[in-house]
Amino acid sequence: MKQFGTILKFELKGYLKNKIFVGITLFLVIAIAVAMFIPNIASIFKSEDGEADAADLPVMLVHAEDGELSALVKQYFDEVFSEYNVKVADGTVENVKEEITSGSAECAFVMDSADSYTYYVDNLSMYDSNTDIANSVLQEVYRVTAMVQYGITPEQAGNIMSAQIESRTTALGKDQMQNFFYTYILIFALYMVILLYGQMVATNVAAEKSSRAMEVLITSAKPISMMFGKVLASCFAGLIQLVAVFGSALVFYNINKSSWGDNMIIESIFNIPVALFVYMLVFFILGFLMYAFMFGAIGSTASKLEDINTSVMPVTFLFIIAFIVVMTSMASGNVDNTLMKVCSYVPFTSPMAMFTRICMSTVAPYEIAASIAVLVGTTVGVGFIAAKIYRVGVLLYGTTPKIGAIIKAVRKA
Amino acid sequence: MILELKNIDKSFGEKQVLKGVSFTAESGKAFGLLGRNGAGKTTTIRILMNVFPANGGEVLADGKPIDYNKVDFGYLPEERGLYPKKPIIDQLVYLAELKGMAHKDAIKEVDHWLDRLGMSEYRNKRLDTLSKGNQQKIQLITALAHDPQVVILDEPFSGLDPVNAMLLKDVVKEQIAKGKIVLFSSHQMNYIEEFCDGIAIINAGKVALHGDLHDIKRNYVRDRLVVNTTKPEQIKTDFGSACTVTDNGSLLIQLAHPDDKKSTMKRLVENYDIDEMKVFEPSLNDIFVEYAGEQV
Repeated sequence: MKQFGTILKFELKGYLKNKIFVGITLFLVIAIAVAMFIPNIASIFKSEDGEADAADLPVMLVHAEDGELSALVKQYFDEVFSEYNVKVADGTVENVKEEITSGSAECAFVMDSADSYTYYVDNLSMYDSNTDIANSVLQEVYRVTAMVQYGITPEQAGNIMSAQIESRTTALGKDQMQNFFYTYILIFALYMVILLYGQMVATNVAAEKSSRAMEVLITSAKPISMMFGKVLASCFAGLIQLVAVFGSALVFYNINKSSWGDNMIIESIFNIPVALFVYMLVFFILGFLMYAFMFGAIGSTASKLEDINTSVMPVTFLFIIAFIVVMTSMASGNVDNTLMKVCSYVPFTSPMAMFTRICMSTVAPYEIAASIAVLVGTTVGVGFIAAKIYRVGVLLYGTTPKIGAIIKAVRKA
Repeated sequence: MILELKNIDKSFGEKQVLKGVSFTAESGKAFGLLGRNGAGKTTTIRILMNVFPANGGEVLADGKPIDYNKVDFGYLPEERGLYPKKPIIDQLVYLAELKGMAHKDAIKEVDHWLDRLGMSEYRNKRLDTLSKGNQQKIQLITALAHDPQVVILDEPFSGLDPVNAMLLKDVVKEQIAKGKIVLFSSHQMNYIEEFCDGIAIINAGKVALHGDLHDIKRNYVRDRLVVNTTKPEQIKTDFGSACTVTDNGSLLIQLAHPDDKKSTMKRLVENYDIDEMKVFEPSLNDIFVEYAGEQV
């Protein structure tokens, strides 16, 4: 136990003194700080731009044979296309086209009648939604004009058109819309941290082996202490990094809270229920440990540092598949599909799958308990097997041994 | 303490590496574990240190199965290497702590040894900034700082300059004087001859020769005489094929029987101009080549 503590301390110190580790953490904290100050920064630029001339905006032309129609359309377009300088075009359709190709206007609506038009634009962007906006506006114009023709006053017509339906939604279970963002962020953090630190554990073990420090270590400490010490140290380092990043996010958000206003997404992210946060920690730590043990065991079988990347591939793939399953289910909105249900009990996928289901759906407590129990059991089991592989693996030099040979050796050990 | 390996067997997969290895080492004495490359020395050492278990046989301390919680080992592996990128003091203290020392004691002992080996100036340097010989001295500290009862040194002299070799010799003598078991594994026979009382020669996983080095030499068939003379010609003609010349110019006279020693010596002294004469004793090198040189 004392050995384990010594190893844990030494390894953790190794992480915290590592310039790259410190560098990445600082970079993330600064990036988060900048992101959190964005509304303030943006408002500084906005207030300067506030005086901007309408002449600086891109020109949108409206052309109709009927002068009354073009004036009416311009009046409506002025309201909806605030990012354009809407002008009534004089001259022919050819003139309008020329103006667009020459670049003096960006786009043009050539009205055949009140309910028919051609949209001219130089390069049609993928996200050009001008026609959609124009359609709904013109539809409204058309309807109002028609109503007026049938003897309804313009005011009445306006009221009818702008009538709103009042609605309220109350989610009795979980509100997926609200939970989506923080679930997404937490799952992504889990994914990044496990992959990064798993690789680090594997590299760390392989480096000791290739520098031959292992020759002394293996005669000084028990493999089980070595394995658990290393893996837990990396887990603590990961947690410290997460706390630094999310903690600074929380601090900087609170500093800038007023300027974020009522941004739903941001608010939902910073209002994670405590219970979910605890689940997050539980699944994070267990998932992290389980994968880190696997990565550590693999690291011990590699004889050269260069072999690490190929050796860890199977575990990495397993983890990426779990990630993809969870992400696609999240995107589809149905996190309770059969695949997800199965995945939330399989220990290699449950840290992400079960956590997602807890966040975005309603899961019975016994289901959560069962999933955690399976995960705890597997993690401990994987830990012990990893320590055995470690003991055998670290003394094997030369070519990376075949899986069969390792299993045989581990059974005997 | 008497450390005893008894009939140790070990196989890796299909390959049997050790076949009934047995030897005994005592406190206050140095023991030489010899053998050619791949003979099974490192495997024997690893079993002795409980890195992995043997398939058969046992390790005894004072006649009882060894308790690894009570017997401390210090080990200088043949494959040297620690953490190249970490400060020397950090890793030495870490390894001493792993051996069960308290943090403060570990620092004190490591500093003592850095001073003893003349390495104090490198205390806070990174290991990879040191020369190979100096790195080896640093690694030697990992084997000694925690004051173990058994010190295992695998090729401790390789790569050391004569001054450092002298320093290491002093350290080894000091350890022996302190009553420790010092177990040497080396191919540099002169060092083994200088320090070791007992030796075991392992050949192809078996102990080919085991015992006290002096006894082994004494028990060698004493049927050759080494003769130093300024006038060798006459002797050579008179003794014919029984007389050969060694590399350093001495004459080696083969006796028909060990019992002929006295009469032959008398004959030599009376008839020729002899400067020096003694019974030939083989060097450890000769013994090693004889016992380990055969088929592997």
